[in-house]
Amino acid sequence: MNPQALMDGLVTGSMIGLGAIGVTLTYSILRFANFAHGEFLAWGAYIALAASGALGWLAPSLLAPIGPFSFGWSLPIAAIAAIALTGGLALLVDAMLFGRLRAQRSTVIILVMASFGAALTLRSLLEFIFTAKPAYYTKALQIALPLGGGLRATPDQLLSLGLAAILVVAIHLLLTRTAIGRSMRAVSENRQLAGVVGVDVRKVIRTVWLLGAGLAAVAGIMAGLLVQVRPYMGLDLLLPLFAAAILGGIGSVPGAMLAGLIVGLAEAFAVQFVGAEWRAAIAFVILVAVLLFRPQGIFGRPE
Amino acid sequence: MSVPERPIALSTHALVAGYERDLPIVRGVDFVIRRGELVVVLGPNGAGKSTFVKAIAGLVPVHSGTASLGAADITSVPAHEKIQHGLAFVPQTENIFATLSIHENLLLAANILPKDRRQDRIAALYGMFPDLAVRPSLRAGQLSGGQRQMLAVARALVVEPSVLILDEPSAGLSPKIVAEVFSTLKAINETGVTIVLVEQNVKAALAIADRAVILVEGLLRHEGPAATLADDPIVAELYLGARHVPKAAGR
Amino acid sequence: MSIELVAYGAFFLTMALTYAIMCLGLNVQWGQTGLFNVGIAGFVAIGAYVSALLTTPDAAGRFGGFGLPIVAGWLGAALAAGLVAFLIGALTIRLRADYLAIATFGVAVAVQLCALNLELVTGGPFGIGFVPRPFASLAGDPLAFSLANLGVLVLVVLALYLALERLLRSPWGRVLRAIREDETAALALGKSATRFRLQAFAIGGAIMGLAGAAQAHFIGFIAPDNYMPMLTFQVWAMLIVGGSGNNRGAILGAILVWGIWAGSAGAIASLFPPGEQARAASLQIVMIGVGLCAILLLRPRGILGEVKTVSRHIGRLARSAGKPVSEP
Repeated sequence: MNPQALMDGLVTGSMIGLGAIGVTLTYSILRFANFAHGEFLAWGAYIALAASGALGWLAPSLLAPIGPFSFGWSLPIAAIAAIALTGGLALLVDAMLFGRLRAQRSTVIILVMASFGAALTLRSLLEFIFTAKPAYYTKALQIALPLGGGLRATPDQLLSLGLAAILVVAIHLLLTRTAIGRSMRAVSENRQLAGVVGVDVRKVIRTVWLLGAGLAAVAGIMAGLLVQVRPYMGLDLLLPLFAAAILGGIGSVPGAMLAGLIVGLAEAFAVQFVGAEWRAAIAFVILVAVLLFRPQGIFGRPE
Repeated sequence: MSVPERPIALSTHALVAGYERDLPIVRGVDFVIRRGELVVVLGPNGAGKSTFVKAIAGLVPVHSGTASLGAADITSVPAHEKIQHGLAFVPQTENIFATLSIHENLLLAANILPKDRRQDRIAALYGMFPDLAVRPSLRAGQLSGGQRQMLAVARALVVEPSVLILDEPSAGLSPKIVAEVFSTLKAINETGVTIVLVEQNVKAALAIADRAVILVEGLLRHEGPAATLADDPIVAELYLGARHVPKAAGR
Repeated sequence: MSIELVAYGAFFLTMALTYAIMCLGLNVQWGQTGLFNVGIAGFVAIGAYVSALLTTPDAAGRFGGFGLPIVAGWLGAALAAGLVAFLIGALTIRLRADYLAIATFGVAVAVQLCALNLELVTGGPFGIGFVPRPFASLAGDPLAFSLANLGVLVLVVLALYLALERLLRSPWGRVLRAIREDETAALALGKSATRFRLQAFAIGGAIMGLAGAAQAHFIGFIAPDNYMPMLTFQVWAMLIVGGSGNNRGAILGAILVWGIWAGSAGAIASLFPPGEQARAASLQIVMIGVGLCAILLLRPRGILGEVKTVSRHIGRLARSAGKPVSEP
């Protein structure tokens, strides 16, 4: 077994995990599978690309790599802008589409269908603006550092892993220790009762979109940094995101992260046997297995 | 006993409500409860009792008419803001957050209080409901039926509401527990909280109520002091179902 | 009217009718049963590839083909797609409504992947060529050839339409309607309600497979690119425009949306310089996407006029297809 698969799996898995947290939160609180979530990853990546490019053009010194990393200060600054703007995009889509459908008391499945339409629109819009050609945040090459045990990782990879770990802990604490977190869990369990108790459900919904889309932007930027930025990156990640959200148990943040890592590692190890061209099928196999054997997921309770 | 000289705590005027506009379940109810009263809403199944209180709480669309808390019109106040006006509602089923701990259930309700008052209020409620204080970190889903009901009531009281509405708190409980819940409600009422109680459990409810109103087919058909109504054979026969009364306690 | 115009009209209609078949299949799943399929492209592709494998002559370097008659290919296509639909339905129909959606999306991804990578069976990215076309002997006369093809498709759509209408009025269709419109009826039926939904889902999948086969034999070659998520989206747009639950609407919606699609593609081809056409094509998808969302928001019952029973059913669908999501 190639130990490098472990590192690749962890890095991909943490990306999938961050995206799956958004899927699991919107699913448990807004009660529908959002097929447009992958597009938030792609939009986050492209907004960061555009912002970073603009910053580099204004102040070329920002492009000089920071320490061992492949990118300059333009990228972290652009990332913050991307997180905020992707959150804004999610709020905009909710105000224009999902919120109106909720107000019309539409069924779950109409919301799912609308998210499908929104996904195609957002994706094609990216393709129109940026074309289908892959793009990169930086052209700098990185040398993978030996970590011992035959494991090697680039500084960018290690940074991504650390950032993902910090974000998961932060989101977990937010949900379990803060008032807004309690409100989110309350709405997720029983929206009507939450209203009766005085929880402003609209505020909770806004928070969920901001959190979910913000995390998606981070995951998208990681994917862009470690692989490349493409309009179809969100679509390609959608199945792994759903597989991880369901495997982790809908509504569970630690579950989504753990399941993201499982999906990422499974992909990395499986491609060594079946070839990289089958990578996308791994998530499908995991999804089918979960639905078959434990549809409530690792941390979910049976309905 | 009724205390007509006290100010009005909650009232509805010609309230029409229901899930569908062309099919109102509550069809024009005038209802008044004065401060400190405990009024029970009775009526046969499907009379619209539950819909009536849900409409006041903002959970069922009101088509016409008004609901007022004191002098303030709260008809169109969104459900989550009614609590800020001092109106607390305890639904019949699923009235606690089973996945949150006991303490989190109370914290959630305390969220609309000023920060410095939250801990005091929760401590006061633990004093009132010592059962809940035994293990505040317990998931509420693990509580027994009676304890759940107590938690639901405690959570409603966190914000010191002026009016507390309960939708069939005795549903699904054993007679012994029902007696406990009702004596707790009476005690709460005696601290000055106005209580509207929807009940099927006629006998037990009339025993603690000052006054009762009877809804039939979405209309308020009869009202009077609880003691008188309990002994009124015509009312019992017409609206409560005579055979229903003796059995009701064992629901 | 020139012969070219008639031939083009016949070509256009034939193409639209292949979509109408997919739409009829989706209508059984969604319109009649309330089951959401996000993997239409996958089921269509299964049908296309199975039929191509069964009917093409033996090819060097590729598994098959078996040189069977076209009819055998179409039947095999329907059976294979129906079987996959049955399996995926059996896995998810008893679970949450949107798990079926996610699983069917997975089917489409997996089928796309197989089509690309199982080169020995599917021909890989280049697909399978020389799929036998009906009336190949007429190929010398474009007009007769397109009219004959159109005739076959008209017959297939008509037969399917009559069969589905009959099925809906049969006891089976009535039970299906009862399950869809009345949650308590569905609960009372319990396990058998799941069985009815599953049957409907499999039948819908089989019809999509048939559509894939018909399209493959009409075009004459297949490749993985024909079965992108875009296809799923188009079929959905067709059914929504036509008004779900309505078989006639499904057919009309297919023709109308295909017309708009082909028309806007033509407009883009003439308006944009060759280098910009790929970009402009994505704008076309944006417009259709916005259109679909707008219809869901403004005219959830479809643009075309509907039969009364249909609009009634849509209202009830709100209570049966899933929990309504209410605004706080």
